[in-house]
Amino acid sequence: MRTSLHAPVSPARRRVLSLFVNGVIAVTGGALSVLLGVFAARPSSTAAGGRWFRAGPVTDLVPGVPVPRVVSVPAADGWYRARGRATVFLVWEGGRDVRAFSSTCTHLGCQVHWDAEATRFICPCHGGVYAADGRVLEGPPPRPLATVRARVDDSGNTVLVQL
Amino acid sequence: MIERLGRWLDERTGYRRIRRALLEEPLPPGTGWAFTFGSILLALLLVQTLTGAFLTVYYAPTPDHAYDSVRFIIATTAGRVVRGLHYFGASFLIVFTVIHMMRVIVFGSYKAPREITWLSGLALLGLMLAFALTGYLLPWDQRAYWATVVTINISRLVPIAGDTSAALLQGGTSLGALTLTRWYALHVIFLPALLVALVVVHLALMRRPGISGPIRARAGAALPFYPFHAARDAAAIALVLLGLAALAWRGAPALDAPADPADATYVPRPEWYFLALFQLLKYFPGRLEILGAILLPALAGLALALLPWIDRGPGREPRRRLAVLSAVVAGLIAVVALTVLGWRDRPAGAAPRDGWSLLEIGGRAFVQSADCARCHADTGLADPLDRIGGARGVEWIEGHIADPEMIAPGLRDPPAPVREREAAAILAYVRRLSRESYPGHARRTRMAAAVYARHCVGCHVIDGEGGSDGPDLSSIGRTHDRPTLRRWIADPESVDPDAEMPSFARRLSAAELDAIASYLADRK
Repeated sequence: MRTSLHAPVSPARRRVLSLFVNGVIAVTGGALSVLLGVFAARPSSTAAGGRWFRAGPVTDLVPGVPVPRVVSVPAADGWYRARGRATVFLVWEGGRDVRAFSSTCTHLGCQVHWDAEATRFICPCHGGVYAADGRVLEGPPPRPLATVRARVDDSGNTVLVQL
Repeated sequence: MIERLGRWLDERTGYRRIRRALLEEPLPPGTGWAFTFGSILLALLLVQTLTGAFLTVYYAPTPDHAYDSVRFIIATTAGRVVRGLHYFGASFLIVFTVIHMMRVIVFGSYKAPREITWLSGLALLGLMLAFALTGYLLPWDQRAYWATVVTINISRLVPIAGDTSAALLQGGTSLGALTLTRWYALHVIFLPALLVALVVVHLALMRRPGISGPIRARAGAALPFYPFHAARDAAAIALVLLGLAALAWRGAPALDAPADPADATYVPRPEWYFLALFQLLKYFPGRLEILGAILLPALAGLALALLPWIDRGPGREPRRRLAVLSAVVAGLIAVVALTVLGWRDRPAGAAPRDGWSLLEIGGRAFVQSADCARCHADTGLADPLDRIGGARGVEWIEGHIADPEMIAPGLRDPPAPVREREAAAILAYVRRLSRESYPGHARRTRMAAAVYARHCVGCHVIDGEGGSDGPDLSSIGRTHDRPTLRRWIADPESVDPDAEMPSFARRLSAAELDAIASYLADRK
């Protein structure tokens, strides 16, 4: 690009040069903004997610009765390694047939417990009641208890849950 | 419509006057490409500020997490590029600062009435180096850690205030958490504040008398900065940023292993722009060190600062300022030569970083015998080994294996105890594993590695790792054959009655003896 500094400047030349300068600013600024935006908006779930954890031996379970199990879950919070504890209810139907529910009430997140006499899950906070298969029977919960994927491992002795 | 909005806004803010003042500076005729370096620097500073600000979104300035957080940053393409821009941007800033300075010197632009502008520019160069120095520690890898150890020790050489300045730089009793937060604060708060102030001063001083313009003033009318010179600036900036992006695309150089204060084998090397100083130190051993470390750089800085008063004549013509210019060029050549020498003078003892070291391979054997995979597995209680990264030290691993319940609640029965050397090897293996997956080795090599990592490493060096009480075994196979080595290891005194090495006949199985002897015999 040759800019003569002596010749009188035509308005067209001025316009073209302005366009070029503003264009460079827009393109570099735009590219940098996109890059930094993507960088800052990085999805929080990068690792972990969906790993199988041991929830306990099959011998602890009673057919048809939900049994609470605390699972120690190493939670990857970005670069930070925390150890979270999650409670799941295991429902064993004999053999390799096992299901698991989250203990978190779908209303406002309190922890439900199993009432063995009433054979229901009771939420202590706002009176949510769930059936043994997780259906809502009474109270405010909008959805059934969340199911957690569960299976008996190859040896047939241990229940694994996916958290 | 837009015109009316603009007028409305202008009546309330007066922004048009500010914009005019900023953009319509009249530039003398003949102001050409040589005058684009200042704008390039401004653009680079903007990129550094933005990328730096965004890096703090993820970075954690603690010894426990700094390394992991940087690893987390570079785990995505965007993060890799952002860190790459910031990393190479630092080098670009240094390079273009020097070019900018050379332009000012050759054009004699520092002459009256611009002496203070020159001094503020020199202060900015110092600030750039301070940024580079403080930023270098933040990834908390071996390179960062040991380069900073050297920096702090150099500051001890400052006369009278040496110990005080080292204590100020270090913060705590040793290079650690207090140093890291201190350097982080400098890098992201104090130095940037100073930078903004100095840049404003530098630009205001530049604008006061206007730019110096071409060496020989030309006739003609002045042209406004925007869009005429701005177009040149924009083209130059676009070119430089493209170059920067091309380098940054593949990211900054890979992180070294996490900082390990106990690692006596690490040979620190500074970043390239400090190589000249690094090399200079080598020529001033012992008590003369202060000359190379403090005195010569200080004198060079002083000479630069005094340039406008040394080179006092009114003329800016380079031909009439040959003495000053040749002195500056000689200085520049000296710096470049020292940098090249420093670059080529790589330490011989450094371990080769391509192949897996025996310690790392040995660590894998211990990981298997200690049954780490029982918990460190995809379905286990703890993270798989390749995701751990090894930011912890040997003591932590020893403690963890001795009583995992303490450190990793939920694990009831501890595995077999592991000794310090095995812990060190496990650490080496886990750290290596965080960078690349295990390539696989022959069974014999694995067995030899385990023997080496458990028994030999205390006294013998192989590939730069190990103790120095016994001879270096890196190429022992050149002088000793397999049967001799086997006999020597089993019973040293049967080969050399004066041998100080203990006998290993009872401590190693026949298979282990065979493995280590043939491994060593193959080292040529």
